[in-house]
Amino acid sequence: MNFTEDKIKKLADLLLIGLTDEETKMVLDEFDIIDKNINKINEIENISEIEPMTHALDSFCYELRSDKVEESCTLEELLSNSDNNDGAAVVLPKVVG
Amino acid sequence: MNSKSIKQIHDALLNGEITSRELIDQNIKLSKEVNSKYNAFVTILEDIESKDVNENLLSGIPFAAKDNYSTKRILSTGSSNTLKDYVPFFDATAISNLYKSGAVLTSKTAMDEFGMGGTGTTAHTGITRNPWDKTRMCAGSSSGSACAVASGAVSFALGSDTGDSIRKPAAYCGIVGYKPTYGMISRYGLFPFASSLDTCGVLTRSVEDAAIVVDAMKGLDPNDMTTFDSSNMELYNNLSDNVKSKKLFYINELVEEENYPNISEEFKEHLKIFKDTLEKAKELGMSVEGVSIDKKILNALPSVYVVLSCAEATSNMSNLTGFIFGPSSDADNYIEKMKNYRTNGFSSLIKRRFIIGSYVLQKENQERYFINAQRVRRLITDIMKDFYKEYDAMIMPVGVGVAKHLDNSLDMLDESTSVLDEFLQVGNFGGFPSITIPNGFINNLPVGVNITGNCYNDQEVLNIAYALEGVMPYKNQIAREVNHE
Repeated sequence: MNFTEDKIKKLADLLLIGLTDEETKMVLDEFDIIDKNINKINEIENISEIEPMTHALDSFCYELRSDKVEESCTLEELLSNSDNNDGAAVVLPKVVG
Repeated sequence: MNSKSIKQIHDALLNGEITSRELIDQNIKLSKEVNSKYNAFVTILEDIESKDVNENLLSGIPFAAKDNYSTKRILSTGSSNTLKDYVPFFDATAISNLYKSGAVLTSKTAMDEFGMGGTGTTAHTGITRNPWDKTRMCAGSSSGSACAVASGAVSFALGSDTGDSIRKPAAYCGIVGYKPTYGMISRYGLFPFASSLDTCGVLTRSVEDAAIVVDAMKGLDPNDMTTFDSSNMELYNNLSDNVKSKKLFYINELVEEENYPNISEEFKEHLKIFKDTLEKAKELGMSVEGVSIDKKILNALPSVYVVLSCAEATSNMSNLTGFIFGPSSDADNYIEKMKNYRTNGFSSLIKRRFIIGSYVLQKENQERYFINAQRVRRLITDIMKDFYKEYDAMIMPVGVGVAKHLDNSLDMLDESTSVLDEFLQVGNFGGFPSITIPNGFINNLPVGVNITGNCYNDQEVLNIAYALEGVMPYKNQIAREVNHE
C-alpha cells in the first residue's frame, strides 16, 4: 500500500492543512481499513464492467430554469456580514501577483 | 406545551388556551434549560416576533433548525470554528417554506462539524449529551436537533442526513427521524457535505408530526435543480394505518444472531426487540421475509460511504479558504493565512476526511477507490430496487444497541465496525425515503427500527411506520433521564 506518512504530509501540504503526529497516525489507521475493504470490492465479479453511480437519482430528468433576471439581494445586505468592505466590494488579502 | 404534538399545540393556539407569544417565551426558557444540561444549541434567539395563528397546523409553532441551514441575519456556523461568526444574507428554501406556513424559528442546534461525524462530539460549542443519559452520545450529525426534540424543548427540529445523520440520532434519543426521497426538499441554503447523498429532513416525536413538517418543507425549487415536483403528495392528509397485505423484507445476514459469534448481551436484546417488532408487523396484516445480499458487497459498504462522502466533501469545502468566510489570521501571505485558518479552524475529524478525500481523488487512485466505490453504490442500489419490485419496504434495526458512551466517541472507521451499524447509508446511496421510529428499550435507554422504501414511495414508508407506531407505546415520548446514583 502506498499510503504512507510521507504521502499524508504531501496531501496535507497540498490542502494547506497542518496535521499533528496524532492526526497523521489516525489517518493512516483509518485508511488501512479502507484499503482492505476496497480490496474486497475487487473480489466482486466483473466489477470493472459496472457503470459507476454518481448520483442518488441518476435517472432523474433535470430541467434548467429559464434564463431571466430575478429579484436578488441588495448590495447592503451582501456586504452586511463582511468585516472589511469599501462600500461596494469586500476587501480581501492580496492573493495574486 | 412545547412537549405536545403539533396538532395538540395548534388546537391550544386556536382555542386560546395559549398564545403564540406565550408559546415562544416558554420555548426559549425551556431551550435554555435544556442547553445548560445537554449543550444542544449553538444559538437560542431572543426578541422573536410572534406570528398570527391560522388554519395552517404550523402557524405560531416554534421550531429549531440544525446549524447547517442558512438563516438570514441569524448566525449559521455548521458548528465549525471556520464559520463561527458567519451570518447569511438569505434563507435556505426549506426554512423560507416553513416561514410561509407560519412556523417560528427559535433556535439553531449543534451538530458534528459540517455534518461529517456520527457522534455529536465535534461541534465547536462542545459535546451534545444524550437527554436519556448524559454519559452517552446522541449520535450525529443532527445531535442537537435530536436532543432538542427528545427533551421536549421543541416539537420538531430540522436535520440533514448524508449517511444516517437524522435516523441514527433519532434512534439513540427515542424519537422519529425522517429522511424523505432525495430531491423532495430543496438543498438550497443547506451547507453541502456530500451533494449526491445530502438530504434535508426532520426529527419529531411522531410520524404524524414528521408528515406535517415535510409537507411544509418540500417542493420544487428553481434554486436546486435536483428537486422534483411532489405537489401530488400530501403526506399528512394521506396518512393511513391500513397496511394489510404490505410486504416487508429484512437482510438475513445482518439480523441473524448466529452471524455474530461474539455478540454482546445488549445487541442480543436489540435483535430480540427487532424480532418482536416484526411480529407486530405481522399482527397488522403485513408479511415479513428475510432476504440475502452477497457478503462481499455488504462488507464493502462502510468504506464505500467513507470514500464517496470524503471525496465529495473535499471538493465542496474547497471554498473554505479563510478569505470568503470566517476569521482570517494575521499571517503575512495568503498561503500562510489559508493554512492557519484551516489548521486552527478544522477539527481532527474534518482534517482526516479531507486527506482521505483528496487521496482517493488523485488521478492515479481514482479508479481503485472513487470509481470502484461508485460501482458498488450502483450494485447495492440495483439490489435494493430489485427487492422493491417484490416488497413494499425494508425493515431493519437501527445500529447495534443503545446510544454509545461518550468515552467511545472517536468516530473512526475501525475493523469491528458492524455493517449493520452503518447500513442506513444504503438509503442515501439510492436516495430512498427512510424513517426511524422508537421500538423499545434496553436498560431504560431507547432503540429504534427503520423503514426504507423505494424512491417516491414516501407515503407508503410513512404509513407503515405510522401503523407500527400505533401498536407500540412510544409515540410522543419525552426523554426520562436515567439515574446513575
